[in-house]
Formats: sequence, structure tokens, C-alpha cells
Amino acid sequence: MSTATRRWLTSAATRTVLWLVIAFILVPLVWMVSTSLKPAGYAQTIPPTWIFKPTFEHYVGVFKGEAATPFGPLLLHSAIVAISATAIAVALGLLAAYALARIPFRGKKFLAMWILSTIMFPPVVAVIPVFILAGRWGLMDTYPALIIPYVAFNLPIIIWTLRSSIRQIPEEIEEAALMDGLSRMGIIVRMVVPLAAPGIATAAILSMLLCWNEFLFAVSLTRSQVKTAPVGINEFTGMFGTQWGAMTAAATVIVAPVLLMALMLRRHLIEGLTLGAVK
Amino acid sequence: MRGSPREPPHLSSERQTLARFVQILSLDTTKFDFYDDNLLRGEARRRGTGGPPSDDAIKGVPAMGYRDDRLVAILADGARRQLSRRGLLRTAAATAVAVPALAGMKGRRAAAAPARQDAAKPTSIKMLYATVEADVEAIKLMIPDFKAATGIDIELDSQPYDALQQRAFAELASESPFYDVMICDTPWTPALTGKLEPLSTYLTNPALNDIADLALEDFIPKVFYDTAVYNASAPNLQFPAQEAVDLAAIAAEGFDVFGLPLQSNALTLAYRKDLFENPAEMEAFKTQYGRDLAAPDTWDQFLEVAKFFTRPDQRLYGTTLMAGNGDWATDDFKTLLAAWGGNGYMIGDEFTIDFNGPEGIAALTYYADLINTHKVTPPGVTSFSWDTASSTFASGLTAMSMNYHSEVLNPGVEGEIAYALVPQQVTRGPHFGTWMLSVNKFGENKEWAYRTAAWFTSAASQIKMLQTQLHPSRASVYEAAKTDPGALAFGNFYEVLGQSLAVGVGRPRLTNYGAVDKEIWVAVNQAASGSKTPEEALAEAAEKVTALLKQEGYPVG
Amino acid sequence: MARLSPAGTTAGGVGTVRGSRGAVPVGRAAIGPAGGADAQARAANRTAWLLVAPAVAVLLAMTIFPAGYLLYASFRSFNLMNPDAGRFVGLQNYQNIASNADIRQSLLITLLFVVLAVGIEVVLGLGLAVILAKQSRENSIAATILILPMAVTPVVSALVWRELFNPNYGWVDYYLQKFGLIDVPIDWLGSSTTAWITLISLDVWQWTPFVALILMAGIQGVPREPKEAAAVDGAEGWRLFWDIVLPLLRPFLAIAVLLRVLEAFKTFGTIKVLTGGGPGISTEIVNLTIYRTALQDFSVGAAAALGISFLVFLSIAVPQLLKVLARNTDLVEG
Repeated sequence: MSTATRRWLTSAATRTVLWLVIAFILVPLVWMVSTSLKPAGYAQTIPPTWIFKPTFEHYVGVFKGEAATPFGPLLLHSAIVAISATAIAVALGLLAAYALARIPFRGKKFLAMWILSTIMFPPVVAVIPVFILAGRWGLMDTYPALIIPYVAFNLPIIIWTLRSSIRQIPEEIEEAALMDGLSRMGIIVRMVVPLAAPGIATAAILSMLLCWNEFLFAVSLTRSQVKTAPVGINEFTGMFGTQWGAMTAAATVIVAPVLLMALMLRRHLIEGLTLGAVK
Repeated sequence: MRGSPREPPHLSSERQTLARFVQILSLDTTKFDFYDDNLLRGEARRRGTGGPPSDDAIKGVPAMGYRDDRLVAILADGARRQLSRRGLLRTAAATAVAVPALAGMKGRRAAAAPARQDAAKPTSIKMLYATVEADVEAIKLMIPDFKAATGIDIELDSQPYDALQQRAFAELASESPFYDVMICDTPWTPALTGKLEPLSTYLTNPALNDIADLALEDFIPKVFYDTAVYNASAPNLQFPAQEAVDLAAIAAEGFDVFGLPLQSNALTLAYRKDLFENPAEMEAFKTQYGRDLAAPDTWDQFLEVAKFFTRPDQRLYGTTLMAGNGDWATDDFKTLLAAWGGNGYMIGDEFTIDFNGPEGIAALTYYADLINTHKVTPPGVTSFSWDTASSTFASGLTAMSMNYHSEVLNPGVEGEIAYALVPQQVTRGPHFGTWMLSVNKFGENKEWAYRTAAWFTSAASQIKMLQTQLHPSRASVYEAAKTDPGALAFGNFYEVLGQSLAVGVGRPRLTNYGAVDKEIWVAVNQAASGSKTPEEALAEAAEKVTALLKQEGYPVG
Repeated sequence: MARLSPAGTTAGGVGTVRGSRGAVPVGRAAIGPAGGADAQARAANRTAWLLVAPAVAVLLAMTIFPAGYLLYASFRSFNLMNPDAGRFVGLQNYQNIASNADIRQSLLITLLFVVLAVGIEVVLGLGLAVILAKQSRENSIAATILILPMAVTPVVSALVWRELFNPNYGWVDYYLQKFGLIDVPIDWLGSSTTAWITLISLDVWQWTPFVALILMAGIQGVPREPKEAAAVDGAEGWRLFWDIVLPLLRPFLAIAVLLRVLEAFKTFGTIKVLTGGGPGISTEIVNLTIYRTALQDFSVGAAAALGISFLVFLSIAVPQLLKVLARNTDLVEG
């Protein structure tokens, strides 16, 4: 076999594999969206129904609260928690990342390692004291009970991402600013933020993603006032079975915003994921 | 099976008494009034002494589920001698300084509770309730009527099961006065008897039974005793079965009433009436088995019927089973265990392990055989739970199903459903569990909370609640259901439910039932999936449950 | 085009000495207020610690503090219903754990899950990255689609999976039968092997893209010169890949593996929803046990002991991993 043929065959094989993989990735999502559009009663047919008249009744029902609590407020809670936690985490993380990136100080390496190591702290372990304390201090089912833990979960990644972003900014600019009498904080606010904006965007996206999808703390610490969407999705399974149409509609609604965001900002996402190995 | 009171093994008598002190100190004086005197009186009566109990008599009285505490040891000597009420108060006052310092002040506990319950009418009552499991629609249906009758709004907080349990426990653990009325499921009550208001005085007080007809004798006795009657100082004890609800007997045994039952669930058998009454099917069955096709009365008959209806190529199977990982598997098993003549409570009053004897093994073997040997169940049954069993039956995949509520077939499935009692072997003992409305001991409107509970559980209310398919707890309501059009829409469900409740078997009253439950359902699941033999699975579970009981402080028999 | 930077140079090109504790700028004015070197260093220290303080505070509150509380609680036996009635029981909780074979098994299961899932993800991710590395429109679309699973809420994906693998109604069994690959529907969640397959496949579906995208960025960042030089030498295909690309991918592999391993240990929602620890206890990871003990049985002492044990286990296992992976990469240098 000539090299050309071999190369063509390899290429064809890899292409096939690739598209098989793509299919594998898409199948669950296709199932989810298609079930949400099927009229009631078609969700569990055998053989699976591919031709059907799509309906939006499930989406309407989900927001009206027919099968479970109305989904609109849940999405709002999720949004509030995610945005607040992200804002706070990015702010705190930026300060810390700056210090870690620019300032030589005693204990820096230890601190960096420790911050990194907090990623491994299992949330299920942290949730127990938080659950007990939140109950005792009357913070159960309130926003702070979720926001503060989420900030803590996101900080390590945010700090790591921002640190590498900041390191990419030439130091001479800052030096010049310092000579001109700008304070550290001034530098951070006026110069680092605009220059590291892409990195900040990345960090924010990663954080939003994590907050939006978080389940354990949400299910343990919320009841009705701040119940978030991932908790609500479980409620479509009652004693009589699962309301598949409503559940998949709700699932699509949860997943859609984040999907869109991830798609639009995918370059940032990828950059963020490489986290400092790429300079 | 009653004997001497259970003494938590690690508490000496001084500590027990002192433990009670500490508890009393944190309570409203009016509450301790009832608690202590009645308890002591009841105890003394039982021991046959007339007047104020002697030190010896007190010695045996177990503490109210309170564990050892360092400070109890410190206060050992002085208070033990003073057991009259005044003496208690005096000592309490004296130790009032030391106790908070050592036990830690609980901020949320109302430091200045009113001296006597204020009987003023509140504008609203806060109720914590479940969702579909306890038919919250029934409550919602009656709220306007309640407002019309009393002028009080009900602020209803409805939570799904896990969140509900966490909420209930967390609120009661922190002794929060937030909820006035709280729904309580039977597995939780053993741990909660100290936090729910005992209702004997309320039940006998005519002034408090003004808006609803209490009619205690109307409650189904087994349901009432299993759900609401506990001995606060020995919560694991089951009240010996009685013919009727008898408050005097309850008090005499040292028990009390901790709520009023509302939604009563029992395992019933649902079957496809259209299949069973189909002439072709009936003929085929008669030919094959030599008897008429009918809802099975014994488990042997059940097997035959299930085999008859198992036709995988036609996408039809005999029955569903709930063998998945979860409480439902334990409930399936204990039903069979009782049917085979074993102890449906699985744990004896003396904390013996009663589920791995010959009856248990026979029952679990039968169960596992249904799945693995005779294959009369659809695939996936080892991950089934209440909802999957229900939806599978609703989709027409099985001819029979056992569950805790009435079923409805999916729109595309043509058929009719009828119900029957769960089959028997040597006897019957379907699992049952009932939700009750309890009064929060730390609430601020307890008298009206009681009235609310009594009103919602009254016969009149329950009859109206049939509209939302409530599972009633009163015999008269089952009578009414016989002619209620809404109830009749479900065929003979209510009849069967009423009959099942009369012979049902509840859960053992363990404070760590959750952990014990898990070991048993794991055993059932392993036997059902064939990864262990029933003997092995049950033996292992017995070991683990013994360890769990010991860890919880029970004197394992 | 992003450039790889193995330990040594900053973007600015100014050399720094990577010493034992932080970088000491060499050959340029030290950044900081005027003053003696010592005063400068101290001022820098103070500023730095001020800047990191809020973040550190939050992190402490959610890591060290819970760990401390749990340590305290693990020596006591108390139930949430009577939190002040807890009594000191010394090492009782730990003894219960040590003598409980189920818990030992669940630690093993957790470890097995992490190793299997991450291992498969790395292999598949690498393959995908290689295929997708070449810039082309087709690949660009594929890469975009690849992002989707990562954005899906894990609980949602678990629910979807459970239904797809439903033996009576799911697409998997239906199409497997239709294409003649199996005769009877497989009860996926009914036996431990198939349940594991379901679980691992879910994790692989959700996170292989993560690995693939990281590695893709790495491959695309490989400088052209070595590749071209090697090609001139006659190397191509496998050898090109193995000898040139792979070594340069090491830091990316390290990051991908590290992050995935850490996240895999934290898996909770997907397993709870998909198998609930079943069948039996064959997929009961430690997180599930801790959750159930603490928030369903309310035995805080026992859960605390288990939590501490798990933490200790992680603190030993993960830094080892870090050391192995972070060799030659400056993941935390600086």
C-alpha cells in the first residue's frame, strides 16, 4: 500500500472515529431536548418515537409549576447565587492573584501550594458543619449560606487562572506606574483589570459554570426561599413516576444558558482550562 | 411484649435523673409540670407503689433518650435526693447558673417563654408538610374551609421527603418555635418524642376540642397506635395492640399521644382487572392451573398468576417488585417476612434480630426467586423504587403491582385496575406507615396548633379530602368512601386499603432506623440481584444491624 | 500563538532566579516604595498579605474550620437531634470505621472510580486531541460541540443517563437489540459490572472533552520547528507523536490529570442520582456514605470521623500525585 493510500485510510478512519464520538456526545442531549418537545405519553414509547408533533406545553407547565414548584424562581435563585458568588470570588481572587504573581513575600510558595490544595477538600465534608451552623445561626435557606461556600470553591481556580493572566502583563508598565506614584490598589484597579480582562472573563465563566451546576450544597442548605435549579430538577420524580416531559424541559432550561455561554466564550474557556501551563 | 423499662446501659440512675434535670431546666416550667409528674406517677403506678415514688422506684426510670453528659456527673449528688416538684425547682434554680455555662446557651431557645400557654387566637398557623407523599393537595383543599371556620390563615410550607426530614429535624433540634404544626413520618418519631408536644391533656380537654369532633375511637386502632402512641422515656417500645383507641390504657402504660394520624399508607396489590376478567385469559388459566383466575390470595397463587402473565415477547410481565436500593426494598421484605410468620417489625422489643431466621430466609428466597428463577418481573426491577414500580405498571408492562397508593394507567394503555389485599402465606402483615400532624413543643400557639391538627384530621375534613385521594385514618371515612363518587373512581381501592390498614405492620421504633434500614435493603437488593444468597445476605445484615444497635446504645438481646 | 514556558523564563524575558522561596528579581529595580531593602521587603510582605487576606479568610472558613470542627465532632457521639447531649467517646467512631468492612470497600470503590474514569478520559482525550489538533473548519465545529457535555449540570446528565439505560424504555437497550448486538435487554443498574460501566461512561461523556480541549491547546502550542526538523529527518506518524509531541505535552497532561483527579474524588450528585450506591453497595463511594450518615441519619460524630479519615486519605494520596506530575513544570512556582 502506498503512503498516500495509507494516509488516506488513516485519515478516513480518524474522521469516522471523530464523528462517532461527536454522535456519542450529542445523543444524550438529543434525547433530552426531543423528549421535552414530545407530547405527553410519548416519552417512554417503544420503539422510540422519532416523528411527532413538537409541543411547548412542557416548557409552559414547568414555568407555571404544574408538575413541581414553578421553575422561574428557581432559575432566578440560581442566577443570583451564581452572579454574586462569581463577583465576590473574582474580586477577592484578583487581589490574591496579584499578590501571588507580583510581590515576593515570605510564605508565598507555601501559600500558593495551600490554596491549590484546597481544591481537593471534599465538599461533602465541608457541608456538615456548614449545615449545622447555618441552622444554628438562622442562615438556613438564605443566600449567604450558598454564596460563601461557592466563593470558597471557586477561589483556587480563579486565583490560579488570574495569576497566570497577570503574569503575562509586562512588569515594566507597572513599574512605570509605581514611579509615577500610583499605589498598588490603583495599579490593580486601573491597569491590571483592563489588561487582564480576558483572564478575568475566563475566571468568571468557570466560576459561573460551577455555581450554576452545583448540587450538594444547594440540596443541603436550601428549602424554598433560595432553592436553586439543580435541586428543583429532582422534584419531577414523585410517587407516581417521573414526569419526563416536564423534567427534560426543565433540564433543557437549566442547561441552555450555560451551554450558550460556553459556546460563545469557548476560546476563553479553553484558555482558562490550560491554567498557567501556557504562558 | 413488655417487660421492665429499658435502661440505656451507660446511664446510672443519678445520671438519668440529672439528665432529666438538665432537660427540664431548658424547658418551660409548665412543660416540665406535665412531663415529670405524669411520668413519675405512671411509673409509680406500674410498680405498684401509691404515693410519691421512692428513690428506688425512680432508679429504674429510664432517662428520656438523653445521653450521658459531663455536667450531669458534676451535679450528681445534691439533686438526686430531691425529687418532689418543689425540690426539683429549688435544685434547678441552684444549678441554673452552672448549667448554662456548661451546656452552652442555645440562642434560639426562647429564654422567656410565657408562664402559661397564651390561649389567644393567632392570625395564622404555620404548618410544615410533605408533598405528594402525604397528599398536600388535601391540605390545600381544606385551607379555605379552615379559614372560614376559624378565621385563621394556614401558612403552608410543603417540602419533598428528604428536604422535609432535614427541615423537621433541624428545626426541632434547634428547638425553633417557627412551625406550629409539623407533619411527622413514622420512622422519625422515635428520635423526636422529646420535641413533640404530648397530647393527652389536649385530647381530654373539652375546651380545646371545640372546633372539631375528635372522636378518638373513630381512628383505626392499629394505625393510631403505630403512628402516634409512644413512650417518651422508652421510644422503642410498641404499644400492645388494642381493640380500640383507649386513652386511659395509653396513660396507664406510660405512653402518650404525639400526633393525630392523617395519610395512612399500606401496601396493596393492584392488578389489571381487564386482563383478569378477559374470557380468553380465564380459560387459558383454568386449563393450565385447574382453578379460576382471580386476584391471588396466597403467595403460591401469586407465583402462578405472575408466571401466567409473563410473556416477554408481548411486553407483558407478571408483577413489579421494588428491589432497588432504598427503604421500599425493606418494606417489601418485611411484608413477606410477616406473611411467612416472622416478626414484621424485624427487630424485637428486646432488640433481637428477628429477620434472619427461617421465616426471613424463606421470605427472601421467595422474593429473589420471583426475580431470578421464575423471572416474572420486568428487567430492571433491582433498581425499582416506588415511582418506577408505579410508572411501569401505568405503562401496562405488568399485570400486577404492589404499591402504597392507587394507580392510574397511562393514556395510551387500555385497561382497568382493581385492588386486593397483599397475599398471605401463613398470615398477612403488609407494611404500613402513616403520616401524622404533630404539635411543635416549642411553638407559641400550641393550643391552636392542636385545634388545627384535630380539625384537619377530623372525619368531616377527611371525607372532603377524599377528593384528592387522601388515604384516611378513620374508620367512618372508609364507610363514607363506599358511596363517595370520587373514591369509587378508583374501584375498590379504599375498601382494600381500609382492610390492609387493619392488619398492617409498622416499622421498628429505633432512633437509628435509617442506618438499620439501609443494611436490610442492601441485603434484599443483593439477594434480588443474585449477587448473594438470601442466607448470606441476611446473615451479613444481621451482623451489621447488631453492630449498629450496639453503637446506638441499645442493649442488644 | 501561546508559547510553552518551562520553568525558567517569564514572559517579559527578564531572567529571574527561581530560588527556594519566591523569585528574587535580578537586574532591575525592585518594585516597591523607596527605602532600604529590608523595609521594602517587609512592606511588600505586609501589602501582599493584606491582598491575600480576604481570599485566605474565606478559604480557611471553608476548609480548615470545617476540618477542625469535624475533628472535634469525630471524638464525640452525637445526633443532630441532641447536639448538646453529645458525649465524648474517644476513638470509638474511628474504631467503628476501621472494623467496618463496608467502609473500607467504599474507599476502594472511590479510588477505583477515580483511576478508571480519569484513565479512560486521558487516553480518549489524547486521541481526540490528536485528531482535532489540525486547524480545519471541520475540527473547529467538532471542538465546539465538544464543549457541550462540560456545561451540562451533572445531576441532569445523571437523570438522562438513567433513562437512556432503562432496560424497558431506554434507547441503549432498544438499539442494541435492534442492531442485533444483544438478545435480551441488559439490566444495566442491576449488576455491579454493568452499573460501573454506566457510571464510568457518564463520567467519560462529561469530562473527556475537558481533557481533550486542554491537550488540544497543548498540541497546537507545540512549536513548529521541532516537528519540521523531525519530519525532515524522516520521522512521521507515531514516532513524531511519541518522541516530539508527547514530551512537550507533559505539563498539559499534568494539569488535565490533576484537575480531573481532584474533581473525580469529589463526585457526588451523579452517583447519587444514577445508582444511589447500588446495586447493593457496589458503587457506594465515600461521599455518599458521609452524606447519608450526616444528613439523613444525622449521626454527626460518625460522619465526622469518616470525613476526617477521607481527608487524611486524600492528603496523603494527592500530594504524591502532585509531586509526580509537577516535576518539570512550574505549576505552583513563582
